[in-house]
Amino acid sequence: MSTREIFDSRIESALLLLPTLLVSVVFLYYPTALAFRTSFFDSSFGRAEVFVGLENYVGLVTSSGYHRSIVISVVFAAVVVVGVVVVSLYLTFLIHEVDTGQGLYLISVIWPYALPPAVGALVFLFITHPTLGVLTGPIESLGVEVDWFNNGSQAFVVVALAAIWKQIGYNVIFMIAAMNNVPDTLTETAELDGVGGLRRLVSVYVPIMTPTIFFLVVINTIYAFFGTFAFVDLLTSGGPSNATNILIFNLYQEGFSFFNFGVASAKSVVLFVVVGVLMFVQFRITDRYSYYGG
Amino acid sequence: MTTVTLHDLRKEFDDVVAVNGIDLEIVDGEFLVIVGPSGCGKSTTLRLLAGLEDATGGEIVMDGRDVTAVEPKDRNVAMVFQNYALYPHMTGRRNITFGMKSSGDFTDEAIDRRVGEAAETLDIADLLDRKPQAMSGGERQRVALGRAIVRDPDAFLMDEPLSNLDAKLRIQMRAELAQLHTSLGTTTVYVTHDQTEAMTLGERVVVMNDGRIMQVDEPQTLYDFPANRFVAEFIGDPAMNMLPVDIENGTAVHDAFAIPLPNADGGLRNGANGDGDVPIRDGRRAVLGVRPEDLYLATERPDASGETLAATVDVTEPLGDSLLLHCSIGESPCKIQAKPRSDIRPGDTVSIAYDPARLHCFDPESGDAFYHSESDASSESVAAAADQGR
Repeated sequence: MSTREIFDSRIESALLLLPTLLVSVVFLYYPTALAFRTSFFDSSFGRAEVFVGLENYVGLVTSSGYHRSIVISVVFAAVVVVGVVVVSLYLTFLIHEVDTGQGLYLISVIWPYALPPAVGALVFLFITHPTLGVLTGPIESLGVEVDWFNNGSQAFVVVALAAIWKQIGYNVIFMIAAMNNVPDTLTETAELDGVGGLRRLVSVYVPIMTPTIFFLVVINTIYAFFGTFAFVDLLTSGGPSNATNILIFNLYQEGFSFFNFGVASAKSVVLFVVVGVLMFVQFRITDRYSYYGG
Repeated sequence: MTTVTLHDLRKEFDDVVAVNGIDLEIVDGEFLVIVGPSGCGKSTTLRLLAGLEDATGGEIVMDGRDVTAVEPKDRNVAMVFQNYALYPHMTGRRNITFGMKSSGDFTDEAIDRRVGEAAETLDIADLLDRKPQAMSGGERQRVALGRAIVRDPDAFLMDEPLSNLDAKLRIQMRAELAQLHTSLGTTTVYVTHDQTEAMTLGERVVVMNDGRIMQVDEPQTLYDFPANRFVAEFIGDPAMNMLPVDIENGTAVHDAFAIPLPNADGGLRNGANGDGDVPIRDGRRAVLGVRPEDLYLATERPDASGETLAATVDVTEPLGDSLLLHCSIGESPCKIQAKPRSDIRPGDTVSIAYDPARLHCFDPESGDAFYHSESDASSESVAAAADQGR
């Protein structure tokens, strides 16, 4: 127990906690429990739920389409997480190194994050549209035919780029704070020793920033699995030929296009487990390499 | 072999002038200490030397080469910081070798050999495989020194390297630094706010204030012949007493006393400012400076001749090896370092004698010293005579 009593009575503190608890229970824990339950039922609009045991899960385990969706999701998440962290780190470093106009650079890097995902997706659509896109001409002049409405790999790249672009701002905010926390004397020592800029970033800043980077890897992983729905929905709708059909979009289609609530619930449980396992692995690995000061 | 010359060096931060046109010559192999209060520009001067700050004006010349606009890495200087600046995620060895490996100027064998030598010199062999968080403050500073010496730089720049250590360790490291300098003989510029460190370490000491150099001299000269009031009060602890007086017929006249200034009758003198003997004009106002240890109770030296002054004791501070008396002479506050175990209480009136060879006069406006009762050139003989008199 704390030595200092902040509230006069237990009732007062309980009352203050109530709204948070209520929202969590109604919108988080109860739906989670219900989804878990529904995953064992055959459920849809207009007919009674029928208990089917593990049948929904068996269906997923034996579905090659779903296997492909899992693989696409994991690869997509890896590309997005690595892409976001690497690009953000480099941008942060450039902003950190620049002497004048730091605030302006920072704002221009952060603004995509301020857009709602749907708006971000539409902006990206106009930037890279195969016929109307602003960037399409310059890219095609390099000899690449922009055809991501039909080309699965290109569509995957476009969605991944959009997802990375949107998340950079969030990462840069945390990274610039962490980088500014590195003592100036370390930078100066490196300068006196003639350590080059990139080597300073990789060998001095990044190791000291590991706790922040680890936090961002976790947040970015969750983002890649759950927060990129709008990009898939508005840019490709999971296509072409399911090339961008990541788990979150897959389960949305199952539930709200095909109205198979039972299967969709099973898919959401699987998604939860996949992300949970990835988090566990990340924690185990990064904990070993994180430097927490001292 | 490195001499460093600063010529009219200036550094401004927006409208703040940190270094205000200083000229300084640092000779080869010298241990030069820059001392001054916070914000006097001493650290900025060091950082200008390192190239970590760009000079607003003036030039820095190392061995005849103008390095004012040269990158830090191309100046071949090593810096030791107050907070050690060790890379926290690297072992002691990697901390020492990281810069050398990155610069690519050294082979692996050369690096290993140099690390071995540095480890031996500094006795840090057992720290090489530890990370900084597993080291004490003194150990960290040793590793930081190791990183500095391993590159065999032309000059060491040290920015308050001992300030983060506890008092006992500081004294030990101070001696080790002096020893290290003797064995390496590398030109060293050392910045500190601690006048004891400045006096004990420096072969020459630069006293700075408000971005300007107040005096550059050997420690004892600085102490015995301060060029101005700032140096007189900054060097020495407790600080020199300053009493407002009028000069009349070679005598310093205060409301509560009048003491003759030895050698003033010849119309004297100022060795410290280097502008030769200047007659002391009668009737001018002055500030008489006397160090607390040059004042003593008349009862302690019954055989000493000369004037005595009457003082009222306000506060007594037993320091163990001496008794510090805060007194009032007339309206002027004054500190006296008396012998310990004296039975003196606040409110007592005491009779004070002084050492006539240790009087200084400063101009009340400019603060410049215009009189030292013992001249620089004859200091040894007069000091000897004074010793015999005691």
